[in-house]
Amino acid sequence: MGQVCLISGPPGCGKTTWALQRLQQHQGPCAYLRLEGEKAAGLEQGDDSGIDLTWLKDQVPSLEEPATANATDLKQHNDGLTLIEVQQFYPPSQEGIEGLGDDVRSKLEALQMHPDQLLHFGRDPELPAKDTLEFSKLEAWHTSLSGCVWDPNSLSSFWFELVNGAYGDVYRAKGLMNLPDGRAFFCNWMVTQASSQFLPLDATAPLQGRPSRTSELVVQGKALNPEGIQSTINDCLLADDVLAMQQQQLQQQQPTSQG
Amino acid sequence: MNHAVISCLHANLAAVEAVLDDIDSQGIQTTTCLGDLVGYGPQPNEVVELVRQREIPSCQGCWDEDIIDGLNACECSYPSQLAERRGHRAHHWTADLLTEENKAFLAELPMTLRRDKLLFVHGSPNSQHEYLLPDMNAFAALERVETAGAETLFCGHTHQPYVRELRQGSIRVKVQQRDQGAPTEQELELPMRRIVNAGSVGEPRHGSTKATYVIHNDDTGEVTIREVDYNVAKTCRAIVDAGLPEVFAWRLSHGFEYAERAEDASHVCER
Repeated sequence: MGQVCLISGPPGCGKTTWALQRLQQHQGPCAYLRLEGEKAAGLEQGDDSGIDLTWLKDQVPSLEEPATANATDLKQHNDGLTLIEVQQFYPPSQEGIEGLGDDVRSKLEALQMHPDQLLHFGRDPELPAKDTLEFSKLEAWHTSLSGCVWDPNSLSSFWFELVNGAYGDVYRAKGLMNLPDGRAFFCNWMVTQASSQFLPLDATAPLQGRPSRTSELVVQGKALNPEGIQSTINDCLLADDVLAMQQQQLQQQQPTSQG
Repeated sequence: MNHAVISCLHANLAAVEAVLDDIDSQGIQTTTCLGDLVGYGPQPNEVVELVRQREIPSCQGCWDEDIIDGLNACECSYPSQLAERRGHRAHHWTADLLTEENKAFLAELPMTLRRDKLLFVHGSPNSQHEYLLPDMNAFAALERVETAGAETLFCGHTHQPYVRELRQGSIRVKVQQRDQGAPTEQELELPMRRIVNAGSVGEPRHGSTKATYVIHNDDTGEVTIREVDYNVAKTCRAIVDAGLPEVFAWRLSHGFEYAERAEDASHVCER
């Protein structure tokens, strides 16, 4: 029988980073699922909108989604691994699946998932604890950037301002951002970290039109200024004509194929 | 005799007042301004009027020029689309607010001021838009000072104060004339030259929010870089009240320039 491992923890504790390492080390088939955790008063869950899954699937192309009809039933594979990530602010109140809250339990039952291992960041020593914070109040803001392409230097300025407090006390920010040269970056920041991660996706988009892949931004913190964030984002994104001009220049710089 | 050199006021009245108070408190009678009286900041008319009222000799900065001539600088002057849009917003806001009288004053400012062997410019003797960075190639830096016929060149524009001494400079010229044999060579040994950057009164970028300027002693040549506290919060409130982008207030209160400098800061738009 394949293994099913559920990890839970508050925003920014390192769930996806840990999941990626575990998936990359795993030799057999693997799957990933992200579930919203138990709601807590004053603590908003960030709407991930597929950021983590897109990033993980880019890094582990064979990764499957157990919620889809076509997914291989990894339970039938002895060497299969299913990782389930749950955003949960507080350690589970009880041992086992009962400590996860009704929503998570009912989703797992619907998928006929029975975790063999449940680990919570900040509680279980198997998981790194340095980025695990206890939150008493947390706002979340999310925007879809589908089809949007950033001016690279503007993205750098915006991210600097965002994580340094220009738009409120941001504790956590993550996003998938498209650049005009077809690359996309997983931008990741947590208040406990000295600097941001800007990790390139392996997959690149064609140098024509707007990219179709997932592009989202999630921000969590206190006293957030969504209007200010959105206004700056609008100043950073490339208009159709500018994007077309830049893509044309990049196409001309590409070596032409011989024969 | 001591004289003060101020630069890059950027319509920040509280900072300008604090610096002028600091100059007055030291009994300094002569002050020279290196331009950029306006731009980004919330009190362009007040700052221009204060400089006029105090009869401070000023040269024209890049912002002073653009406010008069329109947006001459192309997008290559900005490091990013974001910086360009913010810069244009600040430009239009300032241009709309400035009185015709103050615009006329800025229009008449000279590119350079000279006092004996002291030359005062905003960016460089070549352009208000050129940055003389402290780590600029020494030959190029020496060329800027020497060809302008100065011993000490006072500049601003970078918003980072510094004093750079250019010693043991020499210029070697090799001329190959047509129909003549071997080229002729001439070498000129140069005395020490100096570039003094006055930093910025209204938009500091030296790791602190304090306004900076310099004091130069004509007799000894000694240069002192001064840092002056001012009411940053007051200017930040004025930025927000004026309807300028709120992020300007955040950047000023953290000692960041309103717009980052372009990666190739020595680039001068030739459009």
